[in-house]
Amino acid sequence: MSVTIGFVVNPIAGMGGRVGLKGTDDVLDKAVKLGAHPIARQKAEEMLREFSKFSSNHAEIVWVTCDGDMGNNELETVGIKNKQIVYSPSGTTTSANDTKNACKKFIESPPDLLVFCGGDGTARDIFTIIDKKIPLLGVPSGVKMHSGVFGITTNATAKMLWEFINKRLTIGDAEIMDVDEELYRKGEWKVRLYGIAKGIVEPTYIQVGKSCFESVSDDEVKDELADHVKDELEKHQDWLFLFGTGGTIDYIAKKLNIEHTLLGIDAVYQKKLLAKDVNEEQILQLLKKYPNVKILLSPIGAQGFILGRGNLQLSPTVINKIGIENIIVVSAPSKLIHTPVLRVDTGDKRLDHRFANQGYLLVIIGYRLSRVVKLQTNSF
Amino acid sequence: MTQITKRNANKFLKDEYDELVKNHFEWNIRILESGSQPHSIVNGKEVIMMCSNNYLNLSNHPRLIKGAIDAAKKYGAGSGSVRAIAGTLQIHTEVEKRLAKFKRTESSLIYQTGFAANSGLIPQLVGEGDIVISDELNHGSIIDGVRLTRADRAIYKHRDMSDLERVLKDADKKYRRILIISDGVFSMDGDIAPMDKIVKLANEFGAMTYADDAHGEGVIGEDGRGIGAHFHIEGKIDVEMGTFSKAFGVVGGLIAGSQDLVNFAYNKSRTWLLSGSHPPAVSGAQLAAIDVLETEPEHVKRLWDNTKYFKKELNSLGFNTGNSETPITPVIVGDSGKAKELSNKLYDEGVFALPIVFPMVARDKARIRTMMNAGLTKKDLDFALDKFEKLGKQLSII
Repeated sequence: MSVTIGFVVNPIAGMGGRVGLKGTDDVLDKAVKLGAHPIARQKAEEMLREFSKFSSNHAEIVWVTCDGDMGNNELETVGIKNKQIVYSPSGTTTSANDTKNACKKFIESPPDLLVFCGGDGTARDIFTIIDKKIPLLGVPSGVKMHSGVFGITTNATAKMLWEFINKRLTIGDAEIMDVDEELYRKGEWKVRLYGIAKGIVEPTYIQVGKSCFESVSDDEVKDELADHVKDELEKHQDWLFLFGTGGTIDYIAKKLNIEHTLLGIDAVYQKKLLAKDVNEEQILQLLKKYPNVKILLSPIGAQGFILGRGNLQLSPTVINKIGIENIIVVSAPSKLIHTPVLRVDTGDKRLDHRFANQGYLLVIIGYRLSRVVKLQTNSF
Repeated sequence: MTQITKRNANKFLKDEYDELVKNHFEWNIRILESGSQPHSIVNGKEVIMMCSNNYLNLSNHPRLIKGAIDAAKKYGAGSGSVRAIAGTLQIHTEVEKRLAKFKRTESSLIYQTGFAANSGLIPQLVGEGDIVISDELNHGSIIDGVRLTRADRAIYKHRDMSDLERVLKDADKKYRRILIISDGVFSMDGDIAPMDKIVKLANEFGAMTYADDAHGEGVIGEDGRGIGAHFHIEGKIDVEMGTFSKAFGVVGGLIAGSQDLVNFAYNKSRTWLLSGSHPPAVSGAQLAAIDVLETEPEHVKRLWDNTKYFKKELNSLGFNTGNSETPITPVIVGDSGKAKELSNKLYDEGVFALPIVFPMVARDKARIRTMMNAGLTKKDLDFALDKFEKLGKQLSII
């Protein structure tokens, strides 16, 4: 079971939260002045301690980490000895650059998984360097954790790590989300999809015998979803389809030979791309010409948002015109295990209320296969 | 001339089997050197049988054995044909009449197996433009039956009626026919589907109901008449599907319902139309099984007495037996590896019960599934409980 785990802590992550700064990006000095204490180290140690309960034998798990509070101190405190230091931060105060530089070192000899402690900002910095080269697992210790690479809690992250090491979880797509902290501090949400990283996912199982199951890869499940969407497109020849953001929809579009914008909304008509990466205004123009429209969405990030995170082009005006009954949500069933609730945050209270009244959505989880999933608005 | 691909036509057989073996997914078939009895000889070792479906021990009942012999003597060893052509013997129709009476339905039809009933009938009941709504824990043969249709499928949360209602509301506007399918008794947890509520909801929406009562037939309801009798809704479930292979102690699938259903089913089910009919001995034993259930209520009573005692004692030892309401009693262990270890050790100690592990059940809900038998004595049960206690402590489960 010999496994190499990369481990990096962003020591300043989460410091803004307690002092009401909604993030630490660019305002560390202010946070410190307001009396912020580092919490990342504590979260990292919590996770490691929990992990040590599962794994009594550290010998076959090699930790590759950074010096000081960027990983080594935390591992040391918990008593994990089997580690190598591949990066030392330059100064006493670490910065986003230190995280990035550490990642450059990790890439030179890629570990099986990179575990990091931080928030969305840290995830974004790491993703900038790592891209899809190393799968990521985030210990939630920032202010905002919208990205799909985070465990739900520190304990859940420890469990995921243990399951991954035992090969009971596999690698799949996970979204990296980017919040504009400047706007967020003013009370405004502007979360966009930054990219698709590799993360840890629960495999989907199919029964192949009486008690014999095979795990199905993420791609096989998405193939089924693509077949389903293809049928929908063929059934509704005179309808316009808006393809949403994210890895699942991107895969489906590619499978249907439709050039798709990973981080944007595309308009598709009769199985052909009609308009690429459209904004709200362009969508409203299209709605004048095409009275019948369906929107294809997939939950994004760790909290299962289908609207309001990463697809602000689908504004309340757009949704109201199209009708919530014309939203098709697709998701791999495995994703719903960790995100049993779908969320919307359209920014329009009345529209949110309509979703809340409905309470549930039928989500497509396979070819011609659906299940009911709970829907929540505006709450995490 | 185009080049012909030189394939190794059979290579995949060994490759795929080897892969199964590598992952420990292959079946190691255990051989019973006795009949399926409360004390069976399995791979040369005498064990207390706690994993057969022979709930009432009818497979060893003298009247069933005699029924089989007499029918074989009268009609011969085989039936000669498929039912539709020249393979319907009088004894086949006699079983169907007796069964309908027992199930208190207008009519019934015998299929070759329970699997043949599900995979033959379901694809005829729904097609393109229809939807099948299915409990998330339904048995594999239902899933296969549904796969053969062009119908859409929706899954509702296990036994959750408000979830079912949500799907029905959504489906109401979109589909031609709606078919709700549920196991009667769920084979992994031993809990019972709220069929009375399902039927009520179905009636509201004009949906058809289909209960797979394989584990309820002969077990629940008055004298083991099954899920319809259990909820006092005999004849109200559109399709009551079951099997003769479990509590009835023989083999064969069955459906019970209206005459319209039966006329439709035998004219359209390809499995029924294209497989040879039951040998007379099977029908003779089936007939005798119905006789026994109607005249000897003690078997069902003993099954339930045993079940209650065993469950109560397991609980008082500190074992978690889940939500079971039937003679299927899961002993929830948690970790898959531990469940397998407990099963192996139980076998070594003379108790035969199989582990059910992830992904058949949730990761932290791995278990030993015990199935009660009316033929087990209190002494047998105490013996088994003693082993459960000893090994449960040894493995720190209790």
